[in-house]
Amino acid sequence: MNDSVKLELSDLHKSFGHKRNPLPVIGGVSLQVRQGEFVSLIGPSGSGKSTLFHLIGGLLTPDSGEIRLDGRKINGERGHIGYMPQQPALFPWRTIEENVLLDREVNGVSRRESLEEARRWMKRAGLEGFEQAYPHTLSGGMQQRASFVRALLSPHELMCLDEPFSALDAFTRSEMQAWLLDIWEETRRSVLFVTHHIEEALLLSDTIYVLSNRPSQVLRRIEVPFPRPRREEIIETPEFLALRRELTGWMKEEQRKSVTQA
Amino acid sequence: MMRRTLYAWYRSALPPFVAVLLFLTLWESAVRLFGIEAWILPSPSVIALEASRNAESLWGHTLSTLQLTLIGFAIGSTFGLLIACVLHLVPLLKSALYPLLILSQNVPTIALAPLLMIWFGFGLLPKIIVITLVCFFPVAVSTMDGLTQTDRTMLNYMRMIGAGKLQIFRKLQLPHALPSVFSGLRIAATYSVMGAVIAEWIGAQKGIGYYMILQKSAFRTDRIFAAIIIVVALSLLLFVLVTLIEKLVIRGGQRSRHAEGEERR
Repeated sequence: MNDSVKLELSDLHKSFGHKRNPLPVIGGVSLQVRQGEFVSLIGPSGSGKSTLFHLIGGLLTPDSGEIRLDGRKINGERGHIGYMPQQPALFPWRTIEENVLLDREVNGVSRRESLEEARRWMKRAGLEGFEQAYPHTLSGGMQQRASFVRALLSPHELMCLDEPFSALDAFTRSEMQAWLLDIWEETRRSVLFVTHHIEEALLLSDTIYVLSNRPSQVLRRIEVPFPRPRREEIIETPEFLALRRELTGWMKEEQRKSVTQA
Repeated sequence: MMRRTLYAWYRSALPPFVAVLLFLTLWESAVRLFGIEAWILPSPSVIALEASRNAESLWGHTLSTLQLTLIGFAIGSTFGLLIACVLHLVPLLKSALYPLLILSQNVPTIALAPLLMIWFGFGLLPKIIVITLVCFFPVAVSTMDGLTQTDRTMLNYMRMIGAGKLQIFRKLQLPHALPSVFSGLRIAATYSVMGAVIAEWIGAQKGIGYYMILQKSAFRTDRIFAAIIIVVALSLLLFVLVTLIEKLVIRGGQRSRHAEGEERR
């Protein structure tokens, strides 16, 4: 990992609703993703994580603050990131291969240039033999792997992963975490990962930002000390358990606040 | 697998087939029993006999109507599809024209047909216009519906990766709308046969509609019945044709999802 900053959010604010009665959702978020760094955002549900992603993706424009990619301000600009949504969102009329190539297609990269690389990654994702299959014939885990490969093939270096495993069952989820860890350590892409699963965040990330309730702010920034390459077994170590306990405490406190507010 | 589908088909086709057979038997025996005159209600056997005797002439008229129907259906559907796409891409135009489009459907086509004859004569053009008018509406409306019902998560994905409006339209909204488009096309297919017959009633020198008018003035009820059967057969033929094209065009999971939706309805 080198130290150049890939993505930087500084003092981002965003409110919804009418001018007279605004509902502040993002209340001054600042964070960094360095080149080749895996950064997770965790926070209670309703903490504006999706809004944050829509701001980075350029679907929304912040009320104030800056979004910088490679040092350049990209407020409200689209088409700078790779994206993996919560639901696989594969197109049912496209084969897995055609789906995986979609991001490249949208970004104007020819199919011929991409196919070989796509096939290689599909193989790594255990999708070999399913290139010409349609998404509805695949299991949920396989669909998510295809969705990940699609994001991985994006010509944009930064990948935004929006709770990608939340719809999977516990067993598939932990399998997918191990798989993602493996593939990510091989590629070292810059990743911004949203989750509300503490263990998942600790296992995968270099840095974790804990977000507060709405209007969301960064409560804590944690550098995860475990060396790479990591194995799944680290979740049994005392350091891991201690960190998990600490994070769980903060999250619970934040959740309680939101309940008393309501 | 093959045997099972064949069996399933047989199971679903048998009851209506028996029902039709019963109905025809009832009709035949009623006509014979009560001595109903042929110019009021001919028996099925008389109709079949007359149809086969008159087959050559009927075939010529059928071909003429089929040709007219196909031309009108092609033009009307293309027109409906284009209008839907343009209105979808230009929301201002949609809000301006959509109410007018709905309103226009309250004008009965039968009332318009004589006007069109006066304006455009008795050639092919006014007839094609009649069919176009009846075809384009179901295609346009169901296409527009399909285009607005795009899956939210897929749409969000396309926006997040920076797809432009036209890319979203071409790669997501249009393919996503195809099942709806074909629902509209199926309705338009049957409407177009009706449109062709109406157009021929009002002014033509050939075609099934013209044949019906001719036989009506001769009180040849049996021949009118034969013509009606041909109209039904033509409608069915076009319906099946559209369904076959749909099977070829719609791929992957969308096909099965669509089929489920149809069944639920």
